[in-house]
Amino acid sequence: MKSTSLLTKLTEATGVSGREDGAASIILDFFTHGEGREWVSDLRRDKLGNIILYKKGLGETPAKIMFAAHMDEIGLIVTDIEEGFLRFSSIGGIDQRVLVGQEVIVHGKKDLLGIIGAKPPHIQTPDERGKSIKIQDMTIDLGLSQEKAESLVKIGDSITIKRKFCQLKNSLCSGKAMDDRAGVVALVECLKRLKDLRHQADVYCVVTVQEELGVRGAFVSSYGVNPDIGVAIDVTHGEMPGLPDYEAFKLGEGPVIVTGPQMHPKVFEKLKEAAKCGNVKYQIEAEVTPRGTDAYAIQVAQAGVASGLVSIPLRYMHTSVETLSLEDLRETGRLLAEFVMEINSEFVGGLKYC
Amino acid sequence: MKELIRKLTTISSPSGREEQIRNIIREEIKNYCDEVKEDTLGNLIAIKRGGETKIQFAAHMDEIGMIVTDIDEKGFLRFGNVGGVSPHRLFGQRARFQKGTIGVFGAEKIDNIKDLTLDKLYLDIGASSEKEAKEKVSIGDIATYYHEFSDLGDRVIAKSLDNRIGCAVLIEAMKRATNPQNDLFCTFTVQEEVGLRGARTSAFGIEPDLGIAIDVTSTGDTPECERMAVKLGQGAAIKIKDRSLITHPQVRDLLTTLSEKNSIPHQFEVLPFGGTDSGAIHLTRAGVPAGVISIPCRYVHSPSEMIDLKDVEAAVRLAVAVMENKVEL
Repeated sequence: MKSTSLLTKLTEATGVSGREDGAASIILDFFTHGEGREWVSDLRRDKLGNIILYKKGLGETPAKIMFAAHMDEIGLIVTDIEEGFLRFSSIGGIDQRVLVGQEVIVHGKKDLLGIIGAKPPHIQTPDERGKSIKIQDMTIDLGLSQEKAESLVKIGDSITIKRKFCQLKNSLCSGKAMDDRAGVVALVECLKRLKDLRHQADVYCVVTVQEELGVRGAFVSSYGVNPDIGVAIDVTHGEMPGLPDYEAFKLGEGPVIVTGPQMHPKVFEKLKEAAKCGNVKYQIEAEVTPRGTDAYAIQVAQAGVASGLVSIPLRYMHTSVETLSLEDLRETGRLLAEFVMEINSEFVGGLKYC
Repeated sequence: MKELIRKLTTISSPSGREEQIRNIIREEIKNYCDEVKEDTLGNLIAIKRGGETKIQFAAHMDEIGMIVTDIDEKGFLRFGNVGGVSPHRLFGQRARFQKGTIGVFGAEKIDNIKDLTLDKLYLDIGASSEKEAKEKVSIGDIATYYHEFSDLGDRVIAKSLDNRIGCAVLIEAMKRATNPQNDLFCTFTVQEEVGLRGARTSAFGIEPDLGIAIDVTSTGDTPECERMAVKLGQGAAIKIKDRSLITHPQVRDLLTTLSEKNSIPHQFEVLPFGGTDSGAIHLTRAGVPAGVISIPCRYVHSPSEMIDLKDVEAAVRLAVAVMENKVEL
């Protein structure tokens, strides 16, 4: 399967934080029945639903590398049913300004198509016209009566935005949940490359859950894997009108290797070395919001893990038109595979501060 | 059960100072379990054996409080919050220290009530000098609300129903569950109000297969309040989400199925704020499926919290159902 078609399937799948089964089943299927089954030595799912794809290394006392990319997406949750209309709140940091006019899928007893409507401009007061409507004042219209809605939908049911994947010019593509299913596809790309490579280190590609709620899946999976090195693969802001250069990265110019207090300096250096060895174009970011990615959780697992972060530039984060370059995605996979080739137990021994 | 609730809410035991409430609870439960332990942080863990699956029940026994930070030359006390204390709820209220000293909260002159912050408030214990105040209170002492228990029939008003009502539910469930089918670790946790701390360490120690917290939740049934589907008197609330937890789907299904099978009145809870012990439990070690049985409660974190005994009864029955059904996840 080409990475574009996997990305299409994954981003169109449902998987709001805490209810990731839609996205998870695609990964599990790919690595148990699909071509991916040849690429891993073992596969398991932990108690919170993280998927752990294990590829054994050749080393006698192999270093343990964990890569983490999250499969959950931001979404909505039903909070009440009023006269057939659904009240809802957000799961993760959704941008409420872009909700009105969206089609959604409500995961009730069965999947139900709905739309988010609002009061038309004609009948808004001058005061309302100047402001964006708040999420607590929006409703979802399923076209159902109260009685029927109550029989199909429960308070607490999750809701995903409905959005088809599409391709733009210059290898750009757009859709929902690119954050961070694109990272997941980068892991798949990495494993695909490792299949033909003789690497020393043991590799654990962890497809994590509940990142958008506070990197929860990474906390427990990194405890379970207990790696020597942990690298999160996530997205960062792509350049676009209105964003200063220092906050945004170019699409198509390669993965972004991140430095900052959450990243071990030697892992950061090694990632750059790997990029140079493999002739992977890369960009550098200094991370100032440390809690935002799985790297934050991995760093403090058990007695501490040397952590790193690689990001894929992406425009319009946390909307349903997240946009990135397929080229960056493939290059990220290649960088990770190059990184694995660079790691041996000697490098791990040198990570200690004392 | 009303008498038990009255007894538990009369005790003053803020976070980090749970000794008094722990002693009361230990007396209540010691004849209804196989073993009672206390861990380093002060969590009280009662073990009741009955099966292979290890289930941790967690009800926090601490309550919010006010900690003395300064005593001035005239004998007035300044204080900080222990947990979620709002200045507007303190003004004019009385507080009680564990050794019995009582005081009233006064405020400095302010022109706009919106400007009221904790540091504009002081606690007056009736001392006329620094020396007299220091004979009764030391810096670091923690006071709690001082308010009587009121019996309204089906409903009661008391301080610290968050979460003495959860403790009462767990105690009563332990008494009723005479035929447990799982290994039950009934934990009365410390320091929930300051960040789920007792739950975090007790779960690490217990390593449960399943975690169930029992705690209060807010309601959306009072005039012009924030929108929320939970109502007082409509049954035990099965938590779907709060800021600390998305309930594991299997745990949600387990609690829902048991409620339906046993005709236990229940409702679903999506709480837009707050967190509880299961938030810490589910992130323990390599992960623990966890959920929450909530008791709807009005005016949470005020000196006069209100619950409905019908909801309490439903919560007890649901907890007993979990205890007495062989759970496989």
